[in-house]
Amino acid sequence: MIISIKNITKRFGRFEAVKDLSIDIKEGEIYGLLGSNGAGKSTTINILLGFLAPDKGEAFIDGINVTTNVDSARKKIGYISENVNLYPYLTGLENLNYFCKIVGEDYNDEALSKILNGCGLYSDVINKKVGSYSKGMRQKVGIAIAFAKKAKVLLLDEPASGLDPLASTELSSTLKSLAKKGTTVLMASHDIFRVRETCDRIGILKNGSLIDQMDTSKVTTNELEKIYIDYMRG
Amino acid sequence: MIVIILNEWKILVRNRSIVYVSLIFILSIISLAWMSNVQSENQSKAQAAAEKHIRSQWDNLEPMNPHRAAHYGVYVFKPVSILNSLDDGVSSITGNVLKLEGHVQNEIVHSEASQAITISKFGKLKPSIILQYVVPLFLIFLSFGSITNDKETGRMKLIALQGVSPEKLVLSKSISIWLYGLMLIMFSVLLQSLFGSLGLDAGLRLGLTFISYGLYYLIVVFLSTFISVSFINNTSAISLLLATWIVWTIFLPKIWGNTVEKVHPLPSRQNFIAQMKEDRSKGIDGHNPRDERRSKLEKEYLIKYKIDSLSQLPINFDGIVMQADEEYGNQVWDKHFGNNYLIYQKQKKLYQLSGLLNPFSSLQNLSMGFCGSDMIHHLDFLKKAENYRRYLIKTLNDKHAHGGSRTGDWRWTVDNTFFRSVKTFDYQTMLIKNHIGNYLFDILALIAWAIFAGSLMRYKIKRDILL
Repeated sequence: MIISIKNITKRFGRFEAVKDLSIDIKEGEIYGLLGSNGAGKSTTINILLGFLAPDKGEAFIDGINVTTNVDSARKKIGYISENVNLYPYLTGLENLNYFCKIVGEDYNDEALSKILNGCGLYSDVINKKVGSYSKGMRQKVGIAIAFAKKAKVLLLDEPASGLDPLASTELSSTLKSLAKKGTTVLMASHDIFRVRETCDRIGILKNGSLIDQMDTSKVTTNELEKIYIDYMRG
Repeated sequence: MIVIILNEWKILVRNRSIVYVSLIFILSIISLAWMSNVQSENQSKAQAAAEKHIRSQWDNLEPMNPHRAAHYGVYVFKPVSILNSLDDGVSSITGNVLKLEGHVQNEIVHSEASQAITISKFGKLKPSIILQYVVPLFLIFLSFGSITNDKETGRMKLIALQGVSPEKLVLSKSISIWLYGLMLIMFSVLLQSLFGSLGLDAGLRLGLTFISYGLYYLIVVFLSTFISVSFINNTSAISLLLATWIVWTIFLPKIWGNTVEKVHPLPSRQNFIAQMKEDRSKGIDGHNPRDERRSKLEKEYLIKYKIDSLSQLPINFDGIVMQADEEYGNQVWDKHFGNNYLIYQKQKKLYQLSGLLNPFSSLQNLSMGFCGSDMIHHLDFLKKAENYRRYLIKTLNDKHAHGGSRTGDWRWTVDNTFFRSVKTFDYQTMLIKNHIGNYLFDILALIAWAIFAGSLMRYKIKRDILL
């Protein structure tokens, strides 16, 4: 398993944000973590990123314990937040170049352009300042950063939030194409349709606990919506 | 680290508002440096012309009694250094012209303010004002913005995920902002050096000025970063930063300065003069008044020359008495001026201590000191001017006593051949390498502050993971 979450619990004071959560995700899989606001999705992502330490349990990325060996684990992770905030005064190409250089990867402009093209950003925009980019375009640069880093795992926190339908569909197809190349994707979202369209497997989180898991191939969007709403009301 | 620093600079250069503010700074520094330099040049020229005129008057004095010439007096000028246009320190208060004459120890007679053709109630604006007050304030905003922007937008998370430690990231950002401050001070220093040829001493002074400002800017950047990282609420962080700046630059120097004056008070000018006058007439210890001193001296000379009355003396006893009185006056002056000097030294040491609480005080001390415009430099000028006055008056009194006249012969005169033989006052500013000890505490205080602020910043970053 490339992502392995074992019995994780995380408390903020008396509030238990994540309760005894266990999830295993295999290489090349796209896993959707579905849940309402406050369900514990972002806390789970932050534990995997090594920004939060769990109170109980362990999490592994490609066999590396993220709590005890955060630096090594982070080398394997790419991360896309709801808002990918890059440097607005730099172009897409310069942003990618900078994020590659600080990780020690030195690509030439041609190689960088190729990566951006592969993520759906073409030469008409890559030399424009990121300040003029739409949210979807910034996310594409974020994906390009993860791709250039050769991240084995891509963690996304509400990536489709605020995206127009076309950008949202493009994001899905980019993630699927990355998964085909072996990248494992964990996507936290409350967008049932997008999760159903993008992911291979879904886990439903409620009040920090995983209450159900299913293969997306076995449910339609309408069925998934009904299941989700029933869980939330129940 | 270099990649991050270069990137931060690229962002600074691309940010138009920062470019405009930087241009305003640079233009302000250029115009202020230029204006200050023109002012200094004019003052130097005026001084040179006045010196020449005064010397010419002295050289062409009509034949007169040397004692009369002693009262005629001379004016001496403290030269205006090229560095004074960077920081004029206490010059506008102390002035730089002295009148030297017999019986009267030097006193400042012309403060710079009194010599000004136009009077400004706002004081003079020098590049040091921008470098001490405005640039640090801008560095505070830059440091605050650099950290909080990355924190708020989540960029810091993204960079941390690339494998850059938060410590390295924050340190690189701080250094890039510090380099911006260094660039401005380097620009100011180079600009000063363009205005005139620099000797070794002036070069060393500029180098030390650069280091002092560099250390202060490092403290400002490290502390601003520490506070920006420490607070979750940005308003609280920027408020604390601004409050610190105000306390450091406005309140603490005044409060500490007033405290120093209360702890080690200098006598008032009136008291100082009255006490000197009293000591001179009644004797330093109150037991050796002027009349007694004169009688004793008269007896000594009568015995020495084996004569019964002063009229038999082959020399002019009036010149001897005047010189003896002058030398007694010198002792009185040494006592009082020495006492004031000691008080001033105590005041300075106590004021320097404030550097432990307020690095701005240390910076001000160093800036004035290295630009040659602090009280230490002024006291050096006063001492050398007084030594010259003693030489001048002794030369005149000796001429009066031994030049060929007799006691009571006040109509005896000398011509200008003698006056021309009197040396001119040639003041050389003290070499900073010989007086660096006076500023050691300030330098050490700045270094200690820089280490303290850097440690605070590192400690905070290590504890918090910058979510």
